[in-house]
Amino acid sequence: MKLILTLAWRNIWRQPGRSLVLIGAIVSGVWAGVVVSGWANGLIEQRLVNLIQTEITHAQIHHPQFRQERESSMYISAPERIYQMLDSDPRVKSWAPRTLSDGMFQSPVAASGVRIRGVDVELEPKVTIFHEMITQGAYLDETMRNPVLVGEALAEKHNLEPGYRVVLSFQDVNNELVSASFTIAGLYKTHSTVYDERTVYVRMQDLSELINGSLAVHEIAILLEEESYSGNLIADLREQFPDVHSESWYELSPELRYLVDFGGMMTGMIMLIIMFALAFGILNTMLMALFERMRELGMLMAIGMNRQRVFAMILLESVLLTLSGGLAGLLAAAGTIRILMNRGIDLSVFGDGLAEWGFESVIYPVMTGADYGEVFVIVILAAILASIYPALKAVRMNPLEVEKE
Amino acid sequence: MNQAIIQTDRLTKIYNPDTVPVHALRDVSLSFEQGEFTSVVGPSGSGKTTLLNMIGGLDKPTSGSVMIDGVSITGMKDRELIDFRLKNIGFVFQHYNLIPVFTARENVSFIMLLQKRDKAEMMERTEKLLQQVGLRERMDARPKQLSGGQQQRVAVARALASRPKFILADEPTANLDSASAMNLLDIMEKMNREENVTFIFSTHDQRVIDRARRVITMVDGAVESDIATDQKSQTA
Repeated sequence: MKLILTLAWRNIWRQPGRSLVLIGAIVSGVWAGVVVSGWANGLIEQRLVNLIQTEITHAQIHHPQFRQERESSMYISAPERIYQMLDSDPRVKSWAPRTLSDGMFQSPVAASGVRIRGVDVELEPKVTIFHEMITQGAYLDETMRNPVLVGEALAEKHNLEPGYRVVLSFQDVNNELVSASFTIAGLYKTHSTVYDERTVYVRMQDLSELINGSLAVHEIAILLEEESYSGNLIADLREQFPDVHSESWYELSPELRYLVDFGGMMTGMIMLIIMFALAFGILNTMLMALFERMRELGMLMAIGMNRQRVFAMILLESVLLTLSGGLAGLLAAAGTIRILMNRGIDLSVFGDGLAEWGFESVIYPVMTGADYGEVFVIVILAAILASIYPALKAVRMNPLEVEKE
Repeated sequence: MNQAIIQTDRLTKIYNPDTVPVHALRDVSLSFEQGEFTSVVGPSGSGKTTLLNMIGGLDKPTSGSVMIDGVSITGMKDRELIDFRLKNIGFVFQHYNLIPVFTARENVSFIMLLQKRDKAEMMERTEKLLQQVGLRERMDARPKQLSGGQQQRVAVARALASRPKFILADEPTANLDSASAMNLLDIMEKMNREENVTFIFSTHDQRVIDRARRVITMVDGAVESDIATDQKSQTA
C-alpha cells in the first residue's frame, strides 16, 4: 500500500501547474461551500433562538381546542395544579401564564387586526427576552391603567407614540364584543416586522378582567434548562394532564421545524452541488493524466502490476489530489468562520427584507464539528466517484499499450 | 543438453480474422533453453514483436500454445498472467519505459516491492544490479536526469531484479547511439554469462545480431531460419 501511495502522490506532482489549478478550484469551492453553509446555519439558528426567546419558548400548554378555535372561553381550568408540577420539575427553568385574544387595534387614523398577548409582568421576563426589545417608553408599567406595548411597525402605520391612547376590541368568554381604551406605554422592535405589526402586549390581569371578569389563562409558556428535555417533559405533561394540550416548539411552529430540518440538510446540499461541479474538474484532470500515461500504465501491467493495484493507484491519485484541496479549503473556511463568528456578516443593506422574514441583519455563521465532518465525507466521496471512470479505463487497458509510440 | 524453458507449438496469430485477416504468426514452433542469448530478426511486420508478446504473455495466440518451464500460459486468465509475468519474465522495452517519478533505485526495487520481497534483500540486490550496470553513482537520479543509454541500463537492472526465468527485450538498442548500444550489449552479455539469464531480443540492429549466439529470422510471420552461430545450425 505504501508503494502505491508513494507512486500516486508523486504522480500528482508530475504536472504541478495542472494539479495546483485543480487544488485551487477545490480550495475555493470547499471554502465557499463551508462559508455559505455556515451563514445559512447561522441564519436558521438565530431565527430559532429568536423565536424561542421572544415568542414561543420551548413548550406551551393550552386548552385542547384553543389553538384551532382561539375562543376566549377556551382557557385552562385550574392552572395552579400545572404550575405546581412545573415548579417542582428540575427540567423546567421558568414558566409564565398568558391570556390571549385576537382583536382589532383602533387608532384615530386606522384599524388593524392584531393578536393581543396578555402577559404576567413579573413572570414573562423569565421565559422571554421580549422586555429587552423595548425601544421607546417603558415595559408594562404596574402603575399605569391599561398599558399596551405596540410594535414599531404598527405604531408607524398608525402614527403613534408612547402616551397615545388606542382602543382594543375583542370577544369575551360569552362571545360578546368588548372594547377598552389602552395607553401606549412603550414601543418594541423584534427581528420580524410582520410580528411587530400584528402583535400587541398588555397586562394579563387587564385582559383577563375584560374577557372573563377574573383570571383566564389560555397559555402556559415553558422555558427549559435544555431544549433536549422538551420531548420527555411533553410526554410527562400529557400523561399527568390529559385534559390540556401540551406541545413542544417543534409542534407549535411547523414552519420553524421545516426551517430547522432544512437547515440540517443545508451543508450537505450546498457541498453536494459544489462537489458535483468540481467532480467534473477532477474527472477531466484524471482523464488527461491517464491519456498521457497510457504507455506507462501498459508497462506497469506488462511487468506485473495487477489491475487492482492500478485501480487503487488512480483512485488514490484522485483522493490525494482532492484531499489536498479539500483540507486546505476546510482549514481556510474554518479560519474564516472563526473570524465571522465574532464579527458577524453584516447584511444591513438587506435589513428590511430580512426583517420581513424575521431574520436579523447581522448573521453569525455556525459550523459544528459534524458539519465539517459531513463536508469532509462529501469531498472524499466526490474524489472517489470522479476517479472511478478513469480508474476503470486504466484497468481495462491492454498491456500492449507499452509498445505504442 | 539443457531443458527447454520456453516452447511454442504451432503458434498462430491472426489479427482482424473476420474483416481483413492479417497473419502475424504462422505455425511457429520454437524452443529456448536456459542461458540462451538469442536474437529474433526480420523486416518490419515479420512477426518478431508478436512472437515476443506471445512468449511474454502480453498477447494471446489465435491457435497453438506457449509453455514456460512446463506450464502452459495460453489458457491462463488475465489475472494469472500478470502474476506469472511478475514472477517469471523480465521485460526491456525500446522506449526504456521507466517510471519517471521514481529514481533509478526505486525503478529497480519497484518490481521487488510488487513481489513483496524482504526489504534488506531488496536493497542489497538493487545496489548490486545498479553497480553491475555501472550506475551505482546515479542511483538517486530520476530518468530525465539520465541519458538514453543509462535509462536502458536501469531498465535492464529492473528486468533482472525480479530474478526472472528469461528476459524479453524488444529492440533494446533502437534508440541508442553506438557507444551506448555496445555498452548495453556488454552488460547483457555479462549478465547472461555470469547469472545464466536467458535473453531473447527482437532487433534490426546488426550489432545485436552479431553478438547473439542464436539468430532466428522471421519473414511474413513464419520462421525462415534458426541458426546457432556458435555451434550448430538448423533451418526451419
